[in-house]
Order: sequence, then C-alpha cells, then structure tokens
Amino acid sequence: MIKVAQKQLNVHQLWLLIMFLTLTTYALGKLGFSGVWVMLILLSTAAIKATIIMRDFMELRGVSKLWQWMMYGWLGFVCLAISISYFVS
Amino acid sequence: MAVDQLDNDPSDDVKLLPGDFAIWIFIFAELLVFGMAFISYAIARSLNVDMFNQYQLTLNHEFGAINTLLLLTSSYFVVLAVKAIRVDDVKKCKQWLITSLGCGSAFLILKSVEYADKFAEGISLSTNTFYMFYLSLTLFHVFHVILGMIILGAIVFKAQRGAYSAANHTGVETGASYWHMVDLVWIILFPLVYIIR
Repeated sequence: MIKVAQKQLNVHQLWLLIMFLTLTTYALGKLGFSGVWVMLILLSTAAIKATIIMRDFMELRGVSKLWQWMMYGWLGFVCLAISISYFVS
Repeated sequence: MAVDQLDNDPSDDVKLLPGDFAIWIFIFAELLVFGMAFISYAIARSLNVDMFNQYQLTLNHEFGAINTLLLLTSSYFVVLAVKAIRVDDVKKCKQWLITSLGCGSAFLILKSVEYADKFAEGISLSTNTFYMFYLSLTLFHVFHVILGMIILGAIVFKAQRGAYSAANHTGVETGASYWHMVDLVWIILFPLVYIIR
C-alpha cells in the first residue's frame, strides 16, 4: 500500500493522507473502540504515518540499506513490543 | 583519481543522508531513548490495565489530535522550506520555516493549557503510574519541540544573513531532519498514550 502511495502521491497529497489518518485515529478513540484488533489498527495507522515521514519527509528512500534497516527496524521493533505487551495484558 | 571515480560512480545509486551525518547519529540515539520509554509505558500498562484505561479517559483527546495535526503540518512546511532552498529561493525557505515555527508555538500553547489543567487538579508525577508516564513522556517530548524550534529559529536567522543557497544548504537539511524526528516520535506517542486502550 505504501509503495503504491509512494508512486502516486506527491508530498502535498502525502500530507493530506497523514492528516486524514490522524483524524481517523482520533475518531476511533472518541467513539470508544477498544480491544486487540482496534489496537492493531491504531498502531498500524501510526506505523504507516511514521513510514511516510521517514521515507518522504526525512528522505530515507534511496539512502544506504544500513540506515534504512536501522530506522525502519526501530519502528518495527517498537510497534511489535507494544503489540506484544497489549496481547499479554 | 581512481578513488574519486569510485566515490562518484553513478551506478552506486545510494543517496547520502540529508544534512550533517552527525545529526543522524543524534536522531537515532534519541529514537532509541523514546523507544525504550514507549515500551516501558506498554509494559507498565500491561501490569495495571484498569488503572491506565481509567486515567487515560481524563486526557484531552481533542488537544492531542490538534497537536498531532500541528506537528504533521509543521513537518510538511519544513519539507517545503528544504525544497525552496534547493532551488535557491531563500525568501520562501524562510517563510515556510517561520510558518512551521508558528505551528510549533501553537503546539506549545496547547500543551501548556493541558498541563495547567492537570496541575490545577493537583496532578503531579507522583499521583499514579499513568500520570508519571504521561507527564514524563510528554514533557520529554516538549523539551525536544523547544530544541527543534531553537534550531529552526537559528536557521531562519542565518538564512536572513544569506548563509544558505542552492549550493550550500546542509544546515537547513540538518535542522529539517531533527524536526521530522520530533514529529515522528509524537506520531507513536499520541495513539499510545491518548487513544489505545
């Protein structure tokens, strides 16, 4: 999905997309949704936004694989650890 | 000469990180610290889910969402500032950076109102574990917003004095990278502390 977004959306459209995803996150919280699946949706939404910021705003696309692994690896590890802690709670 | 040719080999196709390389070491170190704090929050919550869910409801979700929109927009403006300086448009670069600083200021005002409300209710770091995490995580982030604004302000000041151009804009990219990191951290912090239950 993100690869498609990268090909089709410019920086202005990506900004609108992450604004929309933020409003979706807020709406899900305001409507009182909870549970593991909602947690996964919210965390995935945050991960998509963070990936757009890293790839397009921080311009990580095309830099060395080491830095891409470090940055995306950080995001993946943090999201995975948060998800596991919610699963076991 | 052979080394120069190897360094500039177009088939290499690997871009350099934008800005000063040192800022990326700093950014990664900061991300590690925030990452550990986020995981600590999640583990503490897993040990006392009811209490975290109860007090999470006392947070101002509207302010949290508006602050997210402000930081995302400020990051977008910083991207436009970098694009402007790359085509030698110093005036637009300054304008976008000043607009971005406006978003950062609005973020700090909303956060101050949020803290004032909580402190007026007698809430502090020692109230309970949830508030300890909420206050320390968000305050730590606020310090980074303030530092980011100082950096962006210094770039505007230097741009005013003609320090940047299309040929020399490493400083702008360096400040931009730091500001995006501040935004990146909030993107995880907002749903984690305000929304996910």
